Amino acid sequence: MATVRDNAQTRQSTQTWDLYVDNVSEVFQSGAGKVHAVDEVSFGVEEGKFIGLVGPSGCGKSSLLLMMAGLLRPTSGRVVIRGKDIKEPIPTEVGVVFQESSLLPWKTAVQNVEFPLHLRGISKVERRREALAMLELVGLKDFADRRPHELSGGMKQRVAVARGFCQDPRILLMDEPFAALDEQTRMTLGDELLRIWEQHRKTVVFVTHSLTEAVYLCDEVFVMSARPGKLVGHMVIPLGRPRTYDMMATEAFGKLRDEIWRLIRTS
Amino acid sequence: MPASRRFAIQFCAILATLLVWQLSVSAGFVNADLLPTPTIVGDRVIALLKEPRMLYNIALTSAEVLIAFAIATPLGVAIGMFLGENAYFGTAFKPFFYFFASVPKSVFLPVFILSLGIGFTQKITFGIFQMIFVLVISAIAAVDGVPRSLVTIARAYGASRRQLYLQIYVPSMLPVIVEGVRLAMIFNMTGVLFAEMYVSHAGLGHMIQIWGMRFDLPDLLAGIALATILSVAVNETLRWYERRVGQWRL
Repeated sequence: MATVRDNAQTRQSTQTWDLYVDNVSEVFQSGAGKVHAVDEVSFGVEEGKFIGLVGPSGCGKSSLLLMMAGLLRPTSGRVVIRGKDIKEPIPTEVGVVFQESSLLPWKTAVQNVEFPLHLRGISKVERRREALAMLELVGLKDFADRRPHELSGGMKQRVAVARGFCQDPRILLMDEPFAALDEQTRMTLGDELLRIWEQHRKTVVFVTHSLTEAVYLCDEVFVMSARPGKLVGHMVIPLGRPRTYDMMATEAFGKLRDEIWRLIRTS
Repeated sequence: MPASRRFAIQFCAILATLLVWQLSVSAGFVNADLLPTPTIVGDRVIALLKEPRMLYNIALTSAEVLIAFAIATPLGVAIGMFLGENAYFGTAFKPFFYFFASVPKSVFLPVFILSLGIGFTQKITFGIFQMIFVLVISAIAAVDGVPRSLVTIARAYGASRRQLYLQIYVPSMLPVIVEGVRLAMIFNMTGVLFAEMYVSHAGLGHMIQIWGMRFDLPDLLAGIALATILSVAVNETLRWYERRVGQWRL
């Protein structure tokens, strides 16, 4: 069954974690006074694990992801990736996939996928080759020369995932990548993501609203409360891999889901 | 409606208009002194294009318009981007540009004449003055329209400041800026020709004024036709370019 631990794991050294969030807070001034978007959150992520981060809206999980990506400095605390303090984006180590509309609309699908390599100055031939391989991985090789406005929402997100995998980063940060899609596309893409992940076994931090998605996709789930965003739970998902749809109908699955919901509700 | 059909209809419409014009004058319904036939105007256009002095005048006006464009465009875009990105200066000076854009700039011509004379420089400066307001407003809108999510994703993938500008800002802003340039060019050409008509030594506008004063209708209409052809050419080129760089905005 699920194991609910508190922040006990924070007592381990930062060296053992691939990614470690160390007592991070985000506080800002708003009209109504100080807002604690993230309140002293600490947790560690092991290499090669698929981690979920769930919580209600406005609980600061997206802010946490931005901090892990080096795009936002925490008000206090730090994020450590493989022993290095994160102060700015490290695209060679960390890939990101956001919600929709993060593709450059004036570029084709393949140009979008190779964009991170283009920024790094990789040669055109090499980056084109890489990008086409990634598009094939997500099943969109035939759409390489299409522009985003010619693609459906699901296809656009697949291109975004291909882009995230493209530089072969160790860590992939995903902020509700399937949130804007219909349920069927969500489930299909979730399976595809797992399929690709099984091949490369990257460390993934997956932010989501959907409890079902969290239980289905992840090895471990960190649960956050509403504002001020505190870490209220850490669950290990003991379901076997590869995950199948039948698992979603089992009692174990339902219990895991309910446990997450209980943690959020009672926080 | 397929493009070929549309083109055929438009071509016939123009042809019909010219025919009506030609026939109403040659049949005597319209006074030929007041409205020469299209054939006469066409002949004059060709004749004028063979005269070295006319070519000089056309070249002069074109140069004034082009130099004004070359100076005003980067200047306007730079100011607009600065005002768009800087909260304090933006709040202070954006209203100035918005309000002033609607003022007819022609009323300022006497000021330009008094301070800069009636020569080449004055025309260029007046052209810049005509263009700058629309350009700044377009640039502000363009910079506001750069999607934050794209800036974030580029930063996440390690874009330098320079790369952010070249890879995200420029392509995103270009269609809006080109549209702004197109509108500003209309003001530019209007302003330069008007300044030449008002008082000038030379230029196409100056010649149009002379022909008007002399009641030389064939040359006057020929001059108007030339001005029309040039301004339509500029406008359509910019519209074509705007469509090209803005294809993705669907």
